Amino acid sequence: MKPVRKIGLLLLLMTFILAACGDSGSDSQTADQSGGKSSGEKVKLSIWHNFAGDDLRAKTVRGIIEQFAKDNPDIELDAQAIPPDGYRQRLSTVAAGNELPNIFFVYAGSHSAEMYKAGLLQPVTEIAEQHKDWKEKFLPGAFDPYEFEDNQIYTAPIGMSATSILYYNTALFQKYNVKVPETWDELMTAVKVFNENKLTPIALGNKAPWVAQSTILGTLADHVTGTEWFRNAAAQKDAKFTDPQFVEALGYFKQLVDNKAFQDGANSIDNTQAEQYFIQGNAAMMISGAWTLTNLAASASEEQLKDIDVTVMPSIPGGKGEAKTISGGAGGGMALSKRTEGATKEAALKLIYAISGPEAQKAIAESNSMVMYDTDIDQSKVSSLYYKAFNLVKKTAITPVYDAYLTADAAEVINNGLQEIMTGASPESIAKKLQDAQARSITP
Amino acid sequence: MSTALKSKGFIALALLPALILFLVFVIIPIFWSAYYGFFEWKGLGTAKFIGFGNYNEIIHDRIFWNALLNNLLLVASAIVGQIPVALLLALVLLRNSLFSKFIRSAVFMPMVLSTVVVGLIWGYIYHPQFGLANFILKEIGLGSWTRAWLSEPHINMLAITIPINWSNIGPYMVIYIAALQNIPSEIGDAAEVDGARGWRKLIYVTLPIIWSTVIVTLVLCISGSLKAFDHVIVMTNGGPAHTTELLATYMYNNTFHVYRYGYGSAVSTVIMLVSALLIAVNYAVTKRRSA
Repeated sequence: MKPVRKIGLLLLLMTFILAACGDSGSDSQTADQSGGKSSGEKVKLSIWHNFAGDDLRAKTVRGIIEQFAKDNPDIELDAQAIPPDGYRQRLSTVAAGNELPNIFFVYAGSHSAEMYKAGLLQPVTEIAEQHKDWKEKFLPGAFDPYEFEDNQIYTAPIGMSATSILYYNTALFQKYNVKVPETWDELMTAVKVFNENKLTPIALGNKAPWVAQSTILGTLADHVTGTEWFRNAAAQKDAKFTDPQFVEALGYFKQLVDNKAFQDGANSIDNTQAEQYFIQGNAAMMISGAWTLTNLAASASEEQLKDIDVTVMPSIPGGKGEAKTISGGAGGGMALSKRTEGATKEAALKLIYAISGPEAQKAIAESNSMVMYDTDIDQSKVSSLYYKAFNLVKKTAITPVYDAYLTADAAEVINNGLQEIMTGASPESIAKKLQDAQARSITP
Repeated sequence: MSTALKSKGFIALALLPALILFLVFVIIPIFWSAYYGFFEWKGLGTAKFIGFGNYNEIIHDRIFWNALLNNLLLVASAIVGQIPVALLLALVLLRNSLFSKFIRSAVFMPMVLSTVVVGLIWGYIYHPQFGLANFILKEIGLGSWTRAWLSEPHINMLAITIPINWSNIGPYMVIYIAALQNIPSEIGDAAEVDGARGWRKLIYVTLPIIWSTVIVTLVLCISGSLKAFDHVIVMTNGGPAHTTELLATYMYNNTFHVYRYGYGSAVSTVIMLVSALLIAVNYAVTKRRSA
């Protein structure tokens, strides 16, 4: 009896251990890769994207894809909307199994670059050749993340990330007679006054740790160090993250923490909760990306929205970077998998144009979400706050977002590093960790 | 003899399908994963063989040790907080009265809830501004005790153990009730005739009889705490700054957020070794006591 029980116990044990180790779950469906078939038959085309949510933009993009399927009965379209949280994992899993769909959404920066390096993409330059005036209407820098080779574009961005807009509650600023901060000193004064009146100066939801990095540090550090320095440091050429100017930038962030600019427990609530906290008038400011526009448009009342205004982050005294900038850049776009050929490829290019063409860009812009495309939007179709932000961003220079240029490894380190600063770590130690991680992962 | 052999052959044959499935989906992947651990691999592109590089890095990674410590804390809190409480509840709720049935269901309830729901509920209870925990503390005049429960290092891990224990007591209680109900009433009567009552009866009669059940629940408890993952992912995602990282979340974040598949595989292999070691220790200790 004993050995049997032993074995039983062992098997039981292994099941549990396995449950702990496994779980990566590759339930992805095999995309059809058969390519174009002979004439008369339907062309099979598969597309994966992450516009799965209930927000206006996701609905708009899904609408465009559905319309395309309706307009092209000869194409059998298999469209899959995958929630953004699991999207990159799902895509990596099928890429490893060589089962990528024909078209898939890629993020700007390291994601699309890694896909390109792995030889999974092919250029979509043909679309630009067919529609000459289309390409010219993109804003400067729109194709920067996607020109992996000279004169070849690998996708067209269908969004723009503006990640550090300063939202503020005009009612609260008036009530306490505070000037909307344009310089660092004015910001610190505002923080002090709101704290004295038991209001949170800046709402922050940094549970997913990229938030502070993407919304605050990117612009703050750029103001201090200048864009040139950051690009060099990211490439590890003639600049290091341990340089004094970056430590100084982290010091400014620490100054915000030390002066209690953020509410208690900012590291345990998520960005959406912080948005709600801000819109309900518990906090005077919030530094957040354009996604907050979309979220607020969906959840806040017009009454609440009319008190909110937007501006850029305050300038830093003696900073080497340009003041009044917003960190951001081209958003993701639809990429074409390398193995798509023949009639399928033609259909795929058509669909990519349908999603990123002029009408689509306008429709996306009118769904309260920024685009990298010169288009005029109908004020009556968008929320008042979005309209303000749209025009603010249009005339503001864009600086790089940190995690788009850092390696995934280094981005993780700085994200967690900011949380560490919020719980007492020194800027120097975090700068060193970031330098080590970037140096380690960039050298082959 | 021959019938016994035949039946053994039949048993083996009947077990074969399950065994094959188990081998293919459980045993082989363990070795596979350990093998991946020898590579530097981003999930895309070619994998580079780096020998014991990943394993070496794990040993020198402070986050890993911190995660292991957090896991051990979970194991300790589960052994102290789940097993005795479940046993106590089982003893109290042994009778099949309506009241005890109701309480039993109530205790079992969290187990039925999805862990995501449990995580979200407790996330709100611990919310720094609107949370129930802080609200109650303020109401009873302990305003100075309020905390940002899930973001302050040193207390956030303890705060997390509470919902995990809360949601895991139910099944152990049910197992104990079943074990207690299996004790023949004659034994209880005999014990009482001999003068064993209350604690005495529990320690000298009841516990030894259900000891094998206790061992099984201990094993379940330890392995359950080592594979703990979902509550933490929902409540803190291992943060802030890795302070609530567990072995499983550490493995997950490395594999699927930082895209270091090789390193993640190495971590999961180490998790397996640690689990096996702990279970072996537990087995050795409890075996000696039962002998």
